Formats: sequence, structure tokens, C-alpha cells
Amino acid sequence: MILLQNSGEPIYQQIATQLKEDILTGKLKQGEYLPSIRSLAKDLKISVITTMKAYELLQEEGLVSAAQGKGFYVNAQDSEMLKEQHLRKVEENLMNAIAAAKIAGISRKELEELFLTLLGME
Amino acid sequence: MENVLEIVDLKKKFKGFELNVKELNIPKGFATALIGENGAGKSTLLNILAGIRVDYKGHIRYFGKYEDGDRDKEEYRVRENIGYTGPGGVFLPHWTAKEVAEVSEILFEGFHRDRFEQLCSDLAISTTQDKSKKFSALSDGNKMKMVLAAAFARDTSLLIMDEPASPLDPLMRDKLCCMIREYLAEEEGERSVLFSTHNISDMENVTDYAIIMEHGKIVEQGFVEDLKEKYILVKGNAENAALARKVLYSITENKYGFEGICLADRLDELAGLNVEAETPTLFQISVAIMKQNTVIR
Repeated sequence: MILLQNSGEPIYQQIATQLKEDILTGKLKQGEYLPSIRSLAKDLKISVITTMKAYELLQEEGLVSAAQGKGFYVNAQDSEMLKEQHLRKVEENLMNAIAAAKIAGISRKELEELFLTLLGME
Repeated sequence: MENVLEIVDLKKKFKGFELNVKELNIPKGFATALIGENGAGKSTLLNILAGIRVDYKGHIRYFGKYEDGDRDKEEYRVRENIGYTGPGGVFLPHWTAKEVAEVSEILFEGFHRDRFEQLCSDLAISTTQDKSKKFSALSDGNKMKMVLAAAFARDTSLLIMDEPASPLDPLMRDKLCCMIREYLAEEEGERSVLFSTHNISDMENVTDYAIIMEHGKIVEQGFVEDLKEKYILVKGNAENAALARKVLYSITENKYGFEGICLADRLDELAGLNVEAETPTLFQISVAIMKQNTVIR
């Protein structure tokens, strides 16, 4: 895990993002317990409240669950459910783009061309 | 959220100064920093909480179950569970490390002599020279290290530390932060640390909860992550300073531009201006709040 002090992104956010990747790529397995918030804080040399907030963020996104007295464990990453979740996100973002294009008076053809160009850039 | 300390209507009057804490809860399982300038009342507050000063008005509840009014009762299991460190007279001046260990063993059930020896070694006060020196002859830094070693060598649930970082060099300050994190990690969530500092930069990356004091009163408190969302650091160019001055909580200006703290819920008022927003450090937040509450002569 690499944490940057001056990147403008809060540390708890960076931790959550990197742990999320580990979870989605299977590096952290379903049912596996994350290190306790205090031992993680100790290893990373940061405050406990920062690791706690990172874990809460993961919990909000449904990636981990809290077990009373035991800590946070990785949720089953149902690939179907995950795909569904991300599909919804893609739909939402495309709707926003279409709405913005409408306000700016961008034509449908222009929008399509833009989308194809961006797709080609990936 | 459980609290390790609950304080209500705490008052202590001196000539020219009064400590007045209406309500204060120290969260359990975290490291809390008491921040304030010299004379703000930090030591007075900590001395009262540590049981060193007993002439005060108000109520304190320890560990959610012991009331300070029951101090003389048999069931009052508070002293055993609290470790105190401070800059003055913790040990008798003529004691050497040997006497510190011997007396600690007698006074406290949960004192581990081997842990004390190990800590003395970790904190680099284990040279035979230093160990046979009288406490009063040690340097300020070594005095604090010995006091810290004795406190961390005991099994406690709460550490109350008055300016622990002040006499230490940077390497030792780092070590102190590691010791605090280890202390908290050992009994996951059951242990708490409360320390004071007049220089929060040293202890910022171990601080979970911050309490800012001025003139005997608490002027702000909260979890660090929450405070960092409540107060935003804003920077801009000189031409926008006049407008920013009206919106910002605190501001410093020079001919190139300005920098200041903005309350998050007033950030909209800066919309349209060419300004940059950043997350402030706890140090920057503390300075801004203390500036608002104090008059620099």
C-alpha cells in the first residue's frame, strides 16, 4: 500500500481505494478478515480514526461487513451483483453526460462521435 | 461510542485564571490530544483527571462506572487502571532507575519490571551511566523517558500524559507515537490515551480526537477526520482577498495572496472566485481556532 501525504486525496480515501482493488481482484478473499483498525494504524503509522473511516467507507460500498467484536471481513463479491452495480453506475454517468450535452446544445451526432473517440482512446 | 472519561461542570478557580469545562467526553479506544497554548489550562485539567489535584468542583466518571465522588471507597478501581506521565516531580529526585522500578513494583500490581528494563533500553536510557544517575541529574529528555518507561511498563486502560513529546528529540517523538499506537492496538478498543501538547504537529499522525483549549475553556473538539471536513484550507490571489476576508473564518494575507480557513458550510460563498481548496492539517485548524479565541498582544 502506498499512501501520499500531499496528493489532495484524504488518506482514508487512499486506503479504501487500494483495499477495494485488492478485494475486487481477489487478492483479499471472501470471508477474510482485514487487519484490525488499530494494528493497521500501527503499521501505517497513522491515527486509528483514519483506518476506521477507511473501513467504514468500504462498508458503505458493501465490500466489507463488520462482525461484532471480531472486526471487518470481506463480503462475497458476487460477480453478477457487482456487474449489476457497475452497470448502474455506467448508466448514471451516461445519463449525466447526455443531460450536460443537451444543456450545451451539443448534437446527438457530436455526442456519438465523442463517445467513440473516447472509447478508442482506452 | 463509549467514553473512557465523562466530565460535567468541572471548575477550578485560581487568581487570574479559571478552568471551566461544562461538558467533556473522552472517547474510549482512541488517542485524544488536548491542544492549547501554555497557560490554557491543559495541565490543570489533566492533574484533576489524573487524581493529582482534588480541590475542584464538578463530576468525573471513569470507565463508565466509577464516580469521582466514590474515590475513598473500596470498590474504586481507578488508580490501578490509569498511568500518568508529566513533566514535573513524578519521581523523587534522588531515585535512580533501580528505585523507580522497586517503588513502582510496590505501588502498582500491574507493573512489569522486565518490561520496564526493556523500555529503558528501547528509549536509550539503559547505559549504566544513566541508570545509576539520580533522577534529578538526568536531562529533561531522559527524565521524561524514564517516566514514560515506568508508565508503559504497567497494565493500564488509560494513559494520561502531560506534554509527553515536549522534552523529546524528533527520533524519540516518533518512538513515542509508535508506543501509543502499540498500546492502543494491544487491547483492541479497550485502551485509551489522553495527552496534552502545545505543539500538535509532533503528535498529529497519532491523534484521533482533538480538544482545543483557550483560557480554561474548550473552544472546539471532535474527531480529526470530522474537523478536517468542517474546516477547509482556502488559498487565493490578492485581488480576491477583500471578498475572502468576509467569508473566511481566519485569514493571513500578503502582497501575493491569501490563505485561510473556511467553514465548510460557507464554502459556497466563495463560488466563482479563483481559489484552491485543500484539506488542512490539525495544526492549521488549531492555529485558526486559537487565533479567533485569543488576543495576540
